[in-house]
Amino acid sequence: MIDYFALLDLERRPAITEETVKEAYFRKCESLHSDPARSGELIAVNAAFQTIVNPATRIQHLLMLEFGDAGGGQIEPDLGELFGTIVEVLQIADQELGSLSARSSPILRALAFQRLDGLREKLVRAEKELSQRESGLLAEVVRLDKSWFKSTVQSRHPLAQIALGLTFVRKWLSQVRERKIRLEELA
Amino acid sequence: MTDIVGIDLGTTNSLIGVMDSGFPILIADREGSRLTPSVVYVPESGDPIVGAPANRMRALMPERTLYSVKRLIGRRPGESEKEDFPFAVRSQNGRMLLEIGDRLLNPEEVSSLVLKKLKADAEASLGRSVDRAVITVPAYFNDLQRQATKRAGELAEFTIERIINEPTAAALAYGLDRLRDRSKIAVYDLGGGTFDISILELNEGIFRVLSTNGNTRLGGDDIDRELVRLLKERIIGRYPELRPELDDRMFFARIRETAHEAKLRLSTEDVVQVEIPFLSGNRSFSYTLTRQELEAVARPIIRRTRSHCLRSLDDAKLDPRTLDEVILVGGVTRMPIVRQFCAEVFQRLPNITQNPDEAVAVGATIQAGILSGEVQNILLLDVTPLSLGIETFGGLMNVLIPRNSTIPCKAGEMFTNAVANQNSMQIVVLQGERELAKDNWELGRFDIEFEPVLKAVARVGVQFEIDADGILHVLARDTRTGREKVIELSSAVDVSDDAVEKMIAESLDHAFEDMSERVWTEAVLKSNELLPAVRSALTLVGDQITSDDQKKIDVLVIEVEAALKSHDSHRLKKANAELDEGTQHLATLLIDRAMSEAARRKK
Repeated sequence: MIDYFALLDLERRPAITEETVKEAYFRKCESLHSDPARSGELIAVNAAFQTIVNPATRIQHLLMLEFGDAGGGQIEPDLGELFGTIVEVLQIADQELGSLSARSSPILRALAFQRLDGLREKLVRAEKELSQRESGLLAEVVRLDKSWFKSTVQSRHPLAQIALGLTFVRKWLSQVRERKIRLEELA
Repeated sequence: MTDIVGIDLGTTNSLIGVMDSGFPILIADREGSRLTPSVVYVPESGDPIVGAPANRMRALMPERTLYSVKRLIGRRPGESEKEDFPFAVRSQNGRMLLEIGDRLLNPEEVSSLVLKKLKADAEASLGRSVDRAVITVPAYFNDLQRQATKRAGELAEFTIERIINEPTAAALAYGLDRLRDRSKIAVYDLGGGTFDISILELNEGIFRVLSTNGNTRLGGDDIDRELVRLLKERIIGRYPELRPELDDRMFFARIRETAHEAKLRLSTEDVVQVEIPFLSGNRSFSYTLTRQELEAVARPIIRRTRSHCLRSLDDAKLDPRTLDEVILVGGVTRMPIVRQFCAEVFQRLPNITQNPDEAVAVGATIQAGILSGEVQNILLLDVTPLSLGIETFGGLMNVLIPRNSTIPCKAGEMFTNAVANQNSMQIVVLQGERELAKDNWELGRFDIEFEPVLKAVARVGVQFEIDADGILHVLARDTRTGREKVIELSSAVDVSDDAVEKMIAESLDHAFEDMSERVWTEAVLKSNELLPAVRSALTLVGDQITSDDQKKIDVLVIEVEAALKSHDSHRLKKANAELDEGTQHLATLLIDRAMSEAARRKK
């Protein structure tokens, strides 16, 4: 397994700012790009950047390097609950969007449009809640990062849980946003 | 070291450029024009004619004059919606072919003729041979379209040094004299046939694409088509007896030509006089077309770019306000309505400093300079526009490389045998963003071969690599034997045309059995939905329409009710359609009402 931190000359730790990762990445690219024979290395550097810049994959990669597995368990109960509400909102959205795009009569579409406002609000609320959750998890990463070198082993489980949570939250966020765009498209 | 040229192979026009003492220079042909129309005229005998002279044949020999071929390149017959070309487009063995008299050309061959002409112009101008090129493609082109473009270049006897995305090229043109800047820009590229939106980060000479989105079938051609429809209506209004003649190819080509020119002029003028002399016999057509009329037909088409812009912003995790510039390129962005639209979506005045026709070619030339080493201190990091994946059990798409991954990149997947002694397994490779495999582009399929071993013992790793051109390469490696093999994808549509036609015929036969009954049932369902909807709309906004309008709607409602009792499905369908048409205004009022209510609630 390639150590992506080492590849980008970065210190192995849970929190690294996007700016820092980018600078390291650009430095690497500049040394490789002028040389077409080294496109294999470029692939690895691109993969390293993509892995390290995203907090969830960065933490999983860190745990893999340190402990040999990323150790994701069950998702936390409060996230499970949130998942329930998100799934519900997504289902309502798909149903409404489906019925709206199936309608050809202007008047039927206009009447359906009246209901869209409620749907838009639901989506905006879900997006907001997810964004807050995301910021909370990222703040937690920064907190754990402070004590990372002293208590690496103790950080293992909480970090694994955060990475798992972030993965889900980001996935739901993009699903909610996609519905918002589809709504705009039809309106 | 020989020159590398940069080529913009456009839907409507193509251009070629070369670096000259550190500057990108576009090369003019013998007539002094830098724009070569991407048009090929195929005469009955002799060599095809390319560019401006071919373009002049368009209205005279429509069935022999090929244009907008970029809309067909790398496409499969099944996926192409109906295109209104006056020349014959056929499918054969799962490929698109253009039929001109007894000659058959595929889209790559047609494009290669355009490329050959550019090559000859460049060689004449430079006085030396030119055989290495960078060619641009729409950022949202998939793997097949990129491969086909590359093939067109090779047919024109070029070594293709790089395939580069059009909006990325435009960003290079914009950024060449801003190599110290740090900024975030969007490039909105609306050309003759395709639309792309890319968001980039410029960082002291590093051009990093953050996200890209688009539609490879959305552009000026669509506006032309709608404008042709409008003009046809006006012609029929004047000469109803011409209706049957208007579907004639010759007619279509003349009206299209006129419509296209009127559209161009309406970017700077408010009204134009549309003249088609001797349309039929001695009937001539003359019409005063206003910019407003053009904008009314163009608006829905331009609005379709909005969701792509929003998606790319989302993917780049940016708010429109955090962008520093929105650069417009592509001929259609000369239309004032497009500029207004961009200002609305991005909440700022767009940047119109780039020449809409030339920026992409200039950028391709800069990229050529980067590859030849003539241009230093620029680093370009581009992305793959579409997610790449494989079909999994249950017909779902399993994403291996997500969209907007920086290229080159790769992903691996391990496969094993599901039963003992299974000797192969078929893998379907997909590109697209939809959850169901069938809703995405199928790039092709291949078989993995297993050694005869016990269940789940075989191990074949497959590596999917997207190179710097955005083109896919597949490599399989048996981890037990260590054998490696480059895999060629086979076309998804290897079914013969006969088989396809048989399938269509069968489904039609079947459809006719219960056709009349189904039409009636559907019409009744629609009426039952429509009547209460109209009633409740009238209670909500009925006070905002005139009593005349009210009466008209009443008459239409009574006709629907009467038709419901008649069991005449034709009559009911017509009545429904008329009620739809007659309540259009009511629908607009309802939407206005919903919007103002929403606005009030936000306060």
